[in-house]
Amino acid sequence: MTDVLIVVALLLVAGAATAAVLNRDPVRQALVLSFLGLTLALLFTFLQAPDVALSQLAVGSAVTPLMILLTVRKVRRRPGSGGDGADKPAGRER
Amino acid sequence: MSTSDGWLAAALVPLLALVPVLWRIAYGSPKDRLIGQNLTSLLAGLVLLLAARGFHRTSYNDVALVVSVLGPTGTLIYARFLDVLPDSRLVRWTALAGVPATVLPLCVATGPGRAMVKLLLIGALLIAGSVVTSGRGGKGGVTA
Repeated sequence: MTDVLIVVALLLVAGAATAAVLNRDPVRQALVLSFLGLTLALLFTFLQAPDVALSQLAVGSAVTPLMILLTVRKVRRRPGSGGDGADKPAGRER
Repeated sequence: MSTSDGWLAAALVPLLALVPVLWRIAYGSPKDRLIGQNLTSLLAGLVLLLAARGFHRTSYNDVALVVSVLGPTGTLIYARFLDVLPDSRLVRWTALAGVPATVLPLCVATGPGRAMVKLLLIGALLIAGSVVTSGRGGKGGVTA
């Protein structure tokens, strides 16, 4: 039964990682990455490594997507403030 | 099939429910993706609780506790960046039906004690987080 759980979690991780690569929009990638972090934490728990799962949860599902979102926000706002201002709402759109 | 196998088989149900959620997160609109993120943390919490019981390791519940705290927090952070906090009947009903259906059998199997209090705390946190992030009490549509 444990093997079935591990296989399903592995397939989910593979699917989430592929989806993260195929998505082109960084904000969308951040959400897929947080899904990937959660499924990886599940996989680590099934492999009897809850300590690794805890750190993976903190890093993979919270910190990395947050850093991506903050970076995207900062990068998108810069040209808007120097340009015609039309880019400004676009930075907050997604 | 032993009882621990039964718990692990039960953990398979929310785990398999993550597959369509992944589909929505990868291809949906921003609103769908946020609902998917919320639903993912809820389902992952349930999987972890059931798996902890199936493996006979009560300490694995700590991971579920962290998920129940980090999940709704992450949803609120994303809501701030995406400028949308959709009210989702799916998340609300999954929380209100799925969490008691998982936690109460686990409590019965665990028996009274500290472990049961912890289980109830995790369940309450999961329900509260999901209701707060999916409730109509929020602004429903667009938030600041």
